[in-house]
Amino acid sequence: MIRPAIEIHDLTVAYREKPVLWDIDAVIPVGSLCAIVGPNGAGKSTLLSAILGTIRPASGWLKIFDKPLESSEELIGFVPQRESVDWDFPVEVLDVVLMGTYSQLGWFRRPGKAQRDWAMECLEAVGMTDLRQRQVGELSGGQQQRVFIARALAQDSQLILMDEPFAGVDAATEEAIRTVLEDLKKKGRTVVLVHHDLQTIEQFFDHVLLLNLRLVAAGPTSETFTRENLMRTYGGRLTLLDEAAEAVRRIRTGRTRIGRELE
Amino acid sequence: MISPNTLVILLGTTALGTCCGIIGALMLLRRRALLADAIAHSTLPGICIAFLLANSRSVVALGTGALVSALVAAALVAWLPRVSRIRKDAATACVLGVMFGAGIALVGLIQRSGSGGSAAGLDGLLLGRTAGMLRSEALIFGCAAIVMSLIVFALRKELLVSCFDPRFGTSSRIPTRSIDLLQTSLLAVTIVIALPAVGVVLTAALVVIPAASARFWTDRFDSLLRISALLGAGSGILGTLISTSHPDLPAGPVIVLSATGFFAVSLLLAPRRGLLSRHLLARSRSRKRTIRHLLDAILDAQLQGQMQIAIAQIPESAHCTDLRSIEYSVQSGWVRREGDLISLTETGRIRATRARKALEIWREWLTSEASIDRDLIDLDEVEIEKILSPELIDTLQRSIDERERS
Repeated sequence: MIRPAIEIHDLTVAYREKPVLWDIDAVIPVGSLCAIVGPNGAGKSTLLSAILGTIRPASGWLKIFDKPLESSEELIGFVPQRESVDWDFPVEVLDVVLMGTYSQLGWFRRPGKAQRDWAMECLEAVGMTDLRQRQVGELSGGQQQRVFIARALAQDSQLILMDEPFAGVDAATEEAIRTVLEDLKKKGRTVVLVHHDLQTIEQFFDHVLLLNLRLVAAGPTSETFTRENLMRTYGGRLTLLDEAAEAVRRIRTGRTRIGRELE
Repeated sequence: MISPNTLVILLGTTALGTCCGIIGALMLLRRRALLADAIAHSTLPGICIAFLLANSRSVVALGTGALVSALVAAALVAWLPRVSRIRKDAATACVLGVMFGAGIALVGLIQRSGSGGSAAGLDGLLLGRTAGMLRSEALIFGCAAIVMSLIVFALRKELLVSCFDPRFGTSSRIPTRSIDLLQTSLLAVTIVIALPAVGVVLTAALVVIPAASARFWTDRFDSLLRISALLGAGSGILGTLISTSHPDLPAGPVIVLSATGFFAVSLLLAPRRGLLSRHLLARSRSRKRTIRHLLDAILDAQLQGQMQIAIAQIPESAHCTDLRSIEYSVQSGWVRREGDLISLTETGRIRATRARKALEIWREWLTSEASIDRDLIDLDEVEIEKILSPELIDTLQRSIDERERS
């Protein structure tokens, strides 16, 4: 049996009363390069947040390397969506990458030479050492993305989550991210990333997780990434969801046909 | 001559300016400047209730009242958006309005109920009054400034990550929630301290303005905090000096106006980000562009065998800016002028050729890299040669040559 890096059981996540993820069961094995695929609003980013532990699930549990998430000591590397921060923030590239070392420093300690050297190594991996002193707002979008990748590398964790790292980046950045992913795979790290480009899935990822509020399918790419599963993830989504939403609304407002007949 | 009394006041206002500057920079970076306004206005009902309960104007009583109602306001602002559909900005505005309204009503009530002389002091809280500052108060302010600087120094990395990317902070086990709480508490304490000097209405301005001014001068986190603290302290000093020499002027508005003065200077004169330097940069760019067109036009003529051309002959694009650019080019030694005829000097020819080549290569690069920053399109030859590596320039040149041959 393959050792799981992430084990998700009966996971439901809701914002206020509205569920955004419903009854997810999945296992992502150690050392896999796993893509989370699904239409907009399918709950992909929410799933990442649940794995990170930044939002609390309404029900269900998660295990990271065989330990319950709450008691896990494992540091999870994280690359957020680029738009999630204010890039006009007065901070330099190297300072952002150094944030990846914060968790091992503990209270009050500042990053020293060892951390700085390590951060430079991580910048090197994405080809950005020359720009280490730039203010982050002066970088191009792709370069900003690479800074985030370098920061995740600096965390040096066994499990790394990335939220759409390929979204809107230039060719050089795409190439850099691919190299990083290959390196991580060689080192046996587990990488889970939200991905939009269906064309490249089969080429790069050995595992996929098809998501649309519920889990449609999860498993090795060769078996799971099928036309049929994709249809179930994307196709007919609008009509199905609209019907369901309409039905719920009718029940809530007490205007179901049955209700009316009873009146 | 500065009297000992003034010295005490100076120490006090400098310290509180420093506090305001530091916490203001942090709030600005979290995009919560408005929270400072809401908290400052919300202290008023707390002060009035404390006055009614304790029936005294002692700093401790009123300060405690102010702090409690500031924290209640901060809690409400954080809580409302979580339990309802109200957004954060709306919640902030609501809390500000309701609390300040309640405060003003209470002030009216107290004044009419005729507590007389002791109630008069509450008026001072609205606009601030530094004149009566005691030595002990000034000392408290000084200590607060030192403690706050120490906290910010010790928690630099925690504050940095929770301001820049709190979600990442949480994921790497930095307790961003607690840092958030700490930051809000520091804000509340700062505002309460600043109240007697600057007043309920304008304290928020002293928190926000130095930080906003500091942003013009730097792109670094640490320098932003430092400059903001300095500007806050400077506003305190300047405001105090002005208001002690003109007793009719209330201290609060004068301190805030001093801060605004610093802001105006920053807005206009700051290097790179200031209006003046941006204007100058734009002008020098446009001059460079015109001269490039001019030299290019003469070079064109030269390549067609015409060594001198008449000014009137220069195509529209280069001629658009009158004779000043020709004048400038003559002075810079790029162009020789004989009456109405102009020609390129040797340096001018080299410059024009270089620019032409660089731009051709740049265009090639832009076509091959379809997605590129808009900031990067309008460059001159020096910048282009800096950005593109020599190998890349060779490659691009080869692809240009190939296209021309075919």
